[in-house]
Amino acid sequence: MRRALIALALAWAALAAHAAPINPMRDDEVIEVLPATAGRARGEERRQREQLAKTPRDAGLALGVARRELARAHELGDPRFAGMALAAIDGWRNDADAPADVMLMRATLQQYLHEFDAAAATLQKLLARPGSPQPQAWLTLATVRRVQGRYSDSDAACAQVSRAGSTLYGTACQAENAALRGEFAQSRSRLDGLLATPRLPGATRAWLLTTLAELEQRAVQPNAADTAYRAALLADPDHYTRLAYADFLIEQRRAEQALTVLRSQPRSDAVLLRLAIAGAQARAPGAAADIAEMRERIAMANERPDAKRLHGREQAMFALWIDGAADRALELARGNVAQQREPIDLLVFAQAAHRSGRDSARDEVRRVVDAVGLRDERLRELL
Amino acid sequence: MRALCRRFLLLVAALLVSTSAAAHKASDAYLQLDMHERGLALRWDIALRDLDAAITLDADDDGRLTWGEVRTAWPRIEAYAVPRLQIDGCPLRIAGHGLERRSDGAYAVLQLASDCIVESALPAIHYSLLREVDPTHRGIARIERVGQASIVRLLEPTERAASPAAGRLEFLRDGVHHILTGYDHVLFLLCLLLPAVMRRVPGGGWQPVERLSQAVLPVVGIVSAFTLAHSITLGLAAAKLVSLPAALIEPAIAVTIVLAALDNIWPVFPVRRVVVTFFFGLIHGFGFAGVLGELNLPTSQFAWALLEFNLGLELGQLAIVVLATVALFALRARPSYRAVVVRGGSLAAMVVGVLWLAERTSNVSLLPI
Repeated sequence: MRRALIALALAWAALAAHAAPINPMRDDEVIEVLPATAGRARGEERRQREQLAKTPRDAGLALGVARRELARAHELGDPRFAGMALAAIDGWRNDADAPADVMLMRATLQQYLHEFDAAAATLQKLLARPGSPQPQAWLTLATVRRVQGRYSDSDAACAQVSRAGSTLYGTACQAENAALRGEFAQSRSRLDGLLATPRLPGATRAWLLTTLAELEQRAVQPNAADTAYRAALLADPDHYTRLAYADFLIEQRRAEQALTVLRSQPRSDAVLLRLAIAGAQARAPGAAADIAEMRERIAMANERPDAKRLHGREQAMFALWIDGAADRALELARGNVAQQREPIDLLVFAQAAHRSGRDSARDEVRRVVDAVGLRDERLRELL
Repeated sequence: MRALCRRFLLLVAALLVSTSAAAHKASDAYLQLDMHERGLALRWDIALRDLDAAITLDADDDGRLTWGEVRTAWPRIEAYAVPRLQIDGCPLRIAGHGLERRSDGAYAVLQLASDCIVESALPAIHYSLLREVDPTHRGIARIERVGQASIVRLLEPTERAASPAAGRLEFLRDGVHHILTGYDHVLFLLCLLLPAVMRRVPGGGWQPVERLSQAVLPVVGIVSAFTLAHSITLGLAAAKLVSLPAALIEPAIAVTIVLAALDNIWPVFPVRRVVVTFFFGLIHGFGFAGVLGELNLPTSQFAWALLEFNLGLELGQLAIVVLATVALFALRARPSYRAVVVRGGSLAAMVVGVLWLAERTSNVSLLPI
């Protein structure tokens, strides 16, 4: 704690020095450009916020604002919007009288802010209520538990998704968990079966294909993974799939292609980090600037003592692939897997342990991987 | 993590496409607190973007904050921020302000000070900035005391304490602070008081009153009319029964100053001053309500908070009135009183009022306040 505070003080001092006074001369001088609003006029958004301040328990209005802000948080990688979404549903402090959709929104935002235990607790409170079946809440809980590396809890929630009436999502949910345990062939055929469903919406198709691509990536079947990623991007090119595909391309040392995928995206921390890594790998001309910008963002984020909860994965990857600092990467990755245990988190942990060259570090990672029950062929050569 | 959100969107929410890059860190404010033998100095940096989300600095909704917009919003920025930071035993006063650029955007800089002496190693800080806009906002405070290592504290915004039972009477203080720093209201009151120590004699001339009690009666009448009137509109606006745009009220307040000053030199009011004062007081009440809106009174104790704020206004106003009346009474018999104080003072007030009117109806800056 004391060390963290000293580090914090140093970071603060360094950043305080960055502040430069502004002395505007004319009234029409632009001092700040606000983030763009999408589709909707700025004035209308303001009126909505004012209306919400007057009627904080208008669930339709509150959820409309919260969804819009959450979508912007995802799109731009700007956490302030997640905070604004939380504020929009602040009319219900007490979970007991919050509508189901508000609870679900709160859980999703807690998840976005990496408060996984809190998200699960909110969902469990919601699911304990009598009433209509809630496939979305079960599916969200299944995902939270999967991210935490609690596969059997995730399985139980997946089963409830099917029971609540969403058979396709429930089956896909279970197939994903089975794939994480290494049941590649069986999961592959289940996902293929679901993909053969007639009139599948584009977004659902893309989701199934991305799940399949990630399976092939862990099974070290690069050609199959590449095909599935491309098909997913054709079906519905969402932000998540682009990032996952970029990670795959970097892994395959196809950095130029990774840069092409990333350059069209808003420069969120996740995108910028990968631009820096792929740029360094490809020795691209813009790499130095991207690296410098990412380094500065990390320094700024670290002013908060809890920064590593939100940025542990990215910071570990940066330490490992940009700075080549295996020990620091290992420490960051260790902190990160205490929070989230997706395959990429365990992979980065293993890569850091491998680079550190220490058997004790590799043993430590192996114990975590075994406890989770993940089978990822990429880990074999590292541990 | 991302997987979850993607799935969430998949089932229930529509995707929105947005363009433009923006900041990528959470909302932070920076506080530098220096404690010394004679008190404390505090520098508080708040992102303009965050302030815009709370109190709308971008008046024309074009997504660009100009210096003109920020400059005219300064009183609102102070009225919003300052009550949201309390250091136990240390009433804070505003000592200056500025702007600065950090790598993630432009920040408002508030300089605050207090004469208090903090005995404990760490002062108790109550922080509620942006709680209603972004509960993930944090204040990063560095506290320095001579001869000691600096301490960094993370301030998490909590619900603003507003209960009168807590004994802090912060809305009362907000009210006093607002009237004392609301120069337009003070100037209007002074214009009304200038001739109060004189009385009109038949034929249009003025004569100094003989006794203080003769001045007190008209002063009480005028102040009561002003108070009653602005309390009515403040209450109506605060209860959201009536609402008028600031673009209308702010210039109207400037007009009341010009007219009140003009009447001192050259009678223009067709009715008694008390009646005019009441009418103008209604307008000023809407001006107070604008500030009240930004104070974001807690709905649970709305009536209490409103009463406290209004009481604070009246206390501050009473202090101004008493001081001004005593001073004017002392000066009234001087031969130059009418020429210099009444005429000169009124003329100066008219000039300021006209300049304010120009400022508030256009986008130019003419006065430092």
